Amino acid sequence: MGNKDVLLSVKNLTVEYTSEGEVIHAVNNVSFELEKGKTIGLVGETGAGKTSIARAILRILPEPPARVPNGEVVFEGKDLLKIREEDMQKIRGKEISMIFQDPMTALNPIMRVGEQIAEVIKLHEHCSKQESIEKAKKMLEMVGIPGERFYEYPHQFSGGMKQRVVIAMALACSPTLLLADEPTTALDVTIQAQVLDMINDLKQKLNTSMIMITHDLGIVAEVCDTVAVIYAGEIMEYGTKEQIFHNPQYPYTIGLFGSLPDLNSDVERLSPIEGLPPNPADLPRGCAFHPRCPYATEECQKEHIELKDIGEGHLCRCCRLQEIAAQKAKEV
Amino acid sequence: MSTAVNDTHVGVRTRRQGQLGQVMHRLRKNKVAMLGLVIMLLLIAMALLSPWIAPYNYAKTSKADRYASPSWQHLFGCDAMGRDILSRIMYGARASLWLGLMSTLVATVIGVLLGSLVGYYGGRVDNIVMRILDIIQAIPGMLLSIAISAALGSGIGNTILALSIGGVPMTVRLLRGSILTVRKQEYIEAAEKINCSKWRVITAHILPNSIAPVIVSVTMGIGNTILQAASLSYIGLGVQPPTPEWGAMLSEGKSMITKYPHLCIFPGLAIMLVVLCLNMLGDGLRDAMDPKLKN
Amino acid sequence: MANPMIEVRHLKKYFNTPKGTLHAVDDISFKIEKGRTMGVVGESGCGKSTLGRTIIHLLEPTDGQIFLDGKDITHVDKKQMHEINERMQIVFQDPYSSLNPRQTVEDVIREPLKLSKRYKTRAEIDRKTDELMQLVGIDERLRHAYPHELDGGRRQRVGIARALSLNPDFIVCDEPVSALDVSIQAQVLNLLQDLQEKQGLTYMFVTHDLSVVRHISDDICVMYLGQLVETSPAKELFIKPLHPYTKALLSAIPSTDIDHPHERIKLQGEITSPVDPKPGCRFAARCPYAAEACKQPQQLEEILPNHYISCCRARELNKDIL
Repeated sequence: MGNKDVLLSVKNLTVEYTSEGEVIHAVNNVSFELEKGKTIGLVGETGAGKTSIARAILRILPEPPARVPNGEVVFEGKDLLKIREEDMQKIRGKEISMIFQDPMTALNPIMRVGEQIAEVIKLHEHCSKQESIEKAKKMLEMVGIPGERFYEYPHQFSGGMKQRVVIAMALACSPTLLLADEPTTALDVTIQAQVLDMINDLKQKLNTSMIMITHDLGIVAEVCDTVAVIYAGEIMEYGTKEQIFHNPQYPYTIGLFGSLPDLNSDVERLSPIEGLPPNPADLPRGCAFHPRCPYATEECQKEHIELKDIGEGHLCRCCRLQEIAAQKAKEV
Repeated sequence: MSTAVNDTHVGVRTRRQGQLGQVMHRLRKNKVAMLGLVIMLLLIAMALLSPWIAPYNYAKTSKADRYASPSWQHLFGCDAMGRDILSRIMYGARASLWLGLMSTLVATVIGVLLGSLVGYYGGRVDNIVMRILDIIQAIPGMLLSIAISAALGSGIGNTILALSIGGVPMTVRLLRGSILTVRKQEYIEAAEKINCSKWRVITAHILPNSIAPVIVSVTMGIGNTILQAASLSYIGLGVQPPTPEWGAMLSEGKSMITKYPHLCIFPGLAIMLVVLCLNMLGDGLRDAMDPKLKN
Repeated sequence: MANPMIEVRHLKKYFNTPKGTLHAVDDISFKIEKGRTMGVVGESGCGKSTLGRTIIHLLEPTDGQIFLDGKDITHVDKKQMHEINERMQIVFQDPYSSLNPRQTVEDVIREPLKLSKRYKTRAEIDRKTDELMQLVGIDERLRHAYPHELDGGRRQRVGIARALSLNPDFIVCDEPVSALDVSIQAQVLNLLQDLQEKQGLTYMFVTHDLSVVRHISDDICVMYLGQLVETSPAKELFIKPLHPYTKALLSAIPSTDIDHPHERIKLQGEITSPVDPKPGCRFAARCPYAAEACKQPQQLEEILPNHYISCCRARELNKDIL
């Protein structure tokens, strides 16, 4: 990764939750960079830590029980974890904003839809009430909702439209960075397609950079430039979209591809990843994936494995890559 | 199929520990609730054993001891007729506790039966029953008890009836609300699909999962009913003299409250103690019945 | 030729709501042969779950007929219902609400066995319980576990064991993996396929996930707002979709093939309401090819062998494929 116009640089981010005496290691030493205008996908299952990463960046983790014992989140030269809350408030909603997963609960049910957008605008752009209403109506039009619907309430909108309103809110102040947490999981396929297209359009128009959190590899393929595969709070594999899709290396990544039914291939049986995701309060020693890895050996349990560059910025956290490749060559 | 790695703590029981067992276990850990329970049990024991352990006969009058202040001879003093207040409190516990418990029991049984019917069948049955209960609830509780009591006459049996009717609408409403949520769960549909009779669906699946709020409300309700019983006696309905009853004792002492406060203080304290303990127990039960709270 | 395991003719299920009559399932006809899986796919509000529940009599049909192995089971009394339950079962979508929180794994599996008159002694019931637990892959040590102590995948296995306990021939799988984590989905899907082979089961697999339905089904029905728009053998649906809605649906799926991005058919507007709908094709409001003729009730026509479609313009729009 060259130093080409890096917008966001996350270093060694760690997030812990304390619950009833247990410490839950949600995010463990995560580092990545995002270039301006690009999209990075954070891929992983529920509980892998992806949402915690996004919330840590925006500093909206519930503290307590969450804690950020160490890490740096450098955005436009400032470390977001160290600035004052007042300064962070100026950034939230304006320079960095977030699209949450569930449109049903992301909107205030007793506030008019347009007013919720206008509220964001008025807070950050220091304009008059009338101006904020005008701008809000324009945002609604931009996401394909007639401006007159400004005065309606969330319950009068369908799921897809609510999510579009949420997106309008997130983009109202033309943020530089957009965090999207599974924005289309709760939506029907055809509506999902509309929403993804719209996000892509707006991204190009406004040159927004994006962190897309999802478990759907199809969405990653359509929307992301780089991909980070997250497991048990760590990045296990990182690379460009081409690197990850054409040449996945980490056994969990390969497992993910193999376990999802794919429209483009025909298999008799899926190859599920055996076992269950680990308990974040009690992570396995060594490589967090070793209990489920078909290639695991003694070595994998000993020490924590570091990320290695396996070529042109493609990073992988597996200590047995060469042996696995040799094994596979023999099997063929 | 491979088994998962980190869930070795799950469900490892070699014998069945029923839901009841789990609830009791959690309850035992709650010191406040256990204190309430222990005191209640002691009070009940006291009530039952009162003929043998009371220092004096509750009906024995004595001109010389009229309005006697508390002393070593009469720990709680004597009332207007020279009767020992301590003995009357001990014996009065019978009437007060019995009234409270029985009325709540009757109200609960009727309430659960009605609530189950109404919650399960819904429709017109639901409408009719709920409107009748609305009417009953519209009448202020005390007024209702008084009216029924006056109509039926005094005595413990009639008082129980009078007190219980007022408690039915609340129980039905609670249970019905609970049942409406539980009914929508897919395991109810599943039960029908595996050939459970309607009766079994209600008793084995719906009720156990919807009864919790009722149980808690009932424990707290006993205290309230005792207060109501006391109020009835206070105005002359309910239990008749010479049978002692805490509320009646309060009533008898009210005219002398400035000169001889001990006539009211002790029955008042007794009522307060029971209500307090039952509330502590009710709180503890509510917490114990919530499976989401960790052990 | 033997009777199909399940046949549905002009099945309708309407609900009375304060706003009007909701046409949840409107004139659906299809057949499912023994041992095969019929996938039923569609977006929210299409009526696929209602269809499944109506076929197995969790809901009473408003009109039309249902045949089980050639026998008309549209209207049944209590006794017949008991017998039907031993032949038709259901696996539910939500692993969190499909199990009684107060029953252990063992309780859930034993209950139908106890209620059925087939097992007389406790020993027989115990044996069958063990067998079922092994069949679906639930570890022995979880016998006395409560649902809240199990993860979604295991709960679904318990639900599947329960569905199998009465030895049914036909199972409606109502979105059985939609609520599960992606890495668990594959495990449960494989289990369902294995069971189908071992026990000769016939499935109706309801889902909104097109990749899953393609993987697991032999034939697929596509539904839109209560209407059946297209039905064909599974693989063929994806190679030769004929109905405009099916085409739009398929093009909407984000593809993992990064080298060949496909053109997306953009649908206008929102899904219309299934309450008191106007006659004719309900997709017309959003269809890029809508015409006057679409306002008439559409007929289900066999355009290719075993490939039925409900669109008056189908032949004309697919000239190049046909």
